[in-house]
Amino acid sequence: MTAESAPAQPAPALLETRSLTKRFEGVIALSNLDLSVRQGSIAGLIGPNGAGKTTLFNVATGFYPPDEGTITLAGKRLQGLRPHSITALGIARTFQNIRLFANMTALENVLVGQHMHADFVARATPEEEDPEPARRFRISLGSAEHWAYRAAFPGRMLWEVLATLGRPGVVQETERVAVDRSIDLLGFVGLKGRHNEIARSLPYGDQRRLELARALATRPKLLLLDEPTAGMNPQESQEIVHLIRSIRDELGTTVLLIEHHMHVVMGVCEMITVLDYGEKIAEGPPETVQRDKRVIEAYLGTGHTGIGNGAAGG
Amino acid sequence: MRERLRNSPLVKPAADALAVAAGRAEKAYGSVPNALRLLLLAALLIGVPFYENPMGGGVIFDERWLAVFRLVGLYIMLGMGLNVVVGYAGLLDLGYVAFFATGAYLYALLASPASPAIDFPIDDVPWLFWALLPTALFVGAFAGILLGIPVLPLRGDYLAIVTLGFGEIIRLFLVNKTDFTGGSQGLYGIKAPPLPDFPGLNLTELKSTALTEWYVFIVIAVFIVAFAAARLRDSRMGRAWEAIREDEDVAEAMGIDTIKYKLMAFAMGAAIGSLGGTVFAAFQGSAIPNSFDLLVSINVVSLVVIGGMGNTSGVVLGAVILIGIPDFLRFREASDLLGFFDPLVPFADTRNWAEDLRENRFIVFGALLVAVMVLRPSGLIPSRRRQIEFAAAAEEA
Repeated sequence: MTAESAPAQPAPALLETRSLTKRFEGVIALSNLDLSVRQGSIAGLIGPNGAGKTTLFNVATGFYPPDEGTITLAGKRLQGLRPHSITALGIARTFQNIRLFANMTALENVLVGQHMHADFVARATPEEEDPEPARRFRISLGSAEHWAYRAAFPGRMLWEVLATLGRPGVVQETERVAVDRSIDLLGFVGLKGRHNEIARSLPYGDQRRLELARALATRPKLLLLDEPTAGMNPQESQEIVHLIRSIRDELGTTVLLIEHHMHVVMGVCEMITVLDYGEKIAEGPPETVQRDKRVIEAYLGTGHTGIGNGAAGG
Repeated sequence: MRERLRNSPLVKPAADALAVAAGRAEKAYGSVPNALRLLLLAALLIGVPFYENPMGGGVIFDERWLAVFRLVGLYIMLGMGLNVVVGYAGLLDLGYVAFFATGAYLYALLASPASPAIDFPIDDVPWLFWALLPTALFVGAFAGILLGIPVLPLRGDYLAIVTLGFGEIIRLFLVNKTDFTGGSQGLYGIKAPPLPDFPGLNLTELKSTALTEWYVFIVIAVFIVAFAAARLRDSRMGRAWEAIREDEDVAEAMGIDTIKYKLMAFAMGAAIGSLGGTVFAAFQGSAIPNSFDLLVSINVVSLVVIGGMGNTSGVVLGAVILIGIPDFLRFREASDLLGFFDPLVPFADTRNWAEDLRENRFIVFGALLVAVMVLRPSGLIPSRRRQIEFAAAAEEA
């Protein structure tokens, strides 16, 4: 199977939405959206304010249930899952207005991101990997091991409490590994040696970096960045662009980012999707999107200049 | 407004001196190794009933004192339990008394001869009390999860109001479900459980050995609960609670099952409260609905808030102030002590104002609570984290 696949064949889609729709009391935030983000790519999501970009993030991470359509990560359905389960499947995000745990240290913030991976309770989950409709029906009835897993839930909770109180070797070891990895991650985003600083007291740019480190700590397959360079000067944004590239190149994480700084989007993204009023109006590599007539209209009304000149939107 | 009050010539020196003294004490305390510190403290505390007055005249702290200390110790336990819910996980629970009552009635229903629940009390089983201590933890945790499930979607004020209601429901249930709980006259006549006597230490014949035993029991229990609370705080679970307190949505987005960990916080807090209830019923020898009114919840919340949320030493100080001092005011020594201030009090010769103070202690506490909230909004001994939080909030305001 692998031998036949042509080298030119594009990478499979990691995140895929099919006619995804989300309404808020009459307002259509996302309308029939078909979107796919290829594995290993850095994709951009742009559009004027209120175009539905952040709504898409919120639907993808499980904060809003979609009204219609499907959304899948590597073939696994995401709708109906709670946010923490989606994070466990491999989506992590940052927020438009930075939302760190402000009174915790940088290290503790990243440790919270490691929560799932610092689990000393048995992690084997018997849940199905690929819920095809026919199989899903059987799963919903439940396999014996699934029910055994469910039934053992109080036992696992009790073990978690006892292990927390008794702190046996296995707990100390997972904790030590988590701390080491957090310190590595802080170094990776450029916060080396700052792990004991309180998140609140970090400079703005470093808070953005810390948010990145915390998201990476969940070991995502897909990283959703909501305006990662908002409020930064050109030099700082350039550094973040480098960081985003190295996240993809070194960690192999697929990135989907919302951005208003056009030089960032055009510089780092390989594929750009443009939303306007919840609809996809253009899609393609930066050069194509830049010249697209509908895109220019959406941003500038009926304009003459391209949008590659600077920040558009707000 | 607070700034102005704090900088006023009357308040500022006192507030500054208090802050400096607290800082120094904390520093000195922090420089001693942890295990040694705890061991020393435990030894000092357990020795309390045996301290002899060097001027003669027997022990310094007699039964009256030990009874007060016992109650203070119990409230320290309750405070630490509530601290898990309120201080660690940030869930304002005003119905904590429900779990206290659960533990108390668990024991009383089995051990009281007046119990309508069973035909004969198991009062001839000496180890019943000891068997019920771990049982109380489990039953309490279960009650915590049961009461936690319906309030899961609620946050902040709404959570506080609903839990407040739960606390009252439990009391009304105890009063009205006469055929099960014995109604408003309660369950009484519980035989004192056999506590281990301390043969090496039991030197004084001056006081009841039962109180000494209870005192030592409570001190040890407080240390165990404090240890457990510290372990819970400094763990993956504690971190998850903290993240939930800071920002529940983001915690969920970071892969924390917020439902599970919120229930876990309710369960841990309730387990400790229930343990306290069993101990309370055992040393009272009874369980009456009146002991489980709203005031217990308020007291526990107040002592946590006044002492400093999220901090064990804060809870201890809060319990000493709110529970210990009112009882102390009843003592002859208190009148003697307060007698020094008689010249300052204009009506000292016509009224027993120490007694007035004790009678009206809730007014005094109200004023104290307001004063603490104005001068040190993060509590008398706040946790490091709370200090940062409140400082930042003040800056933003």
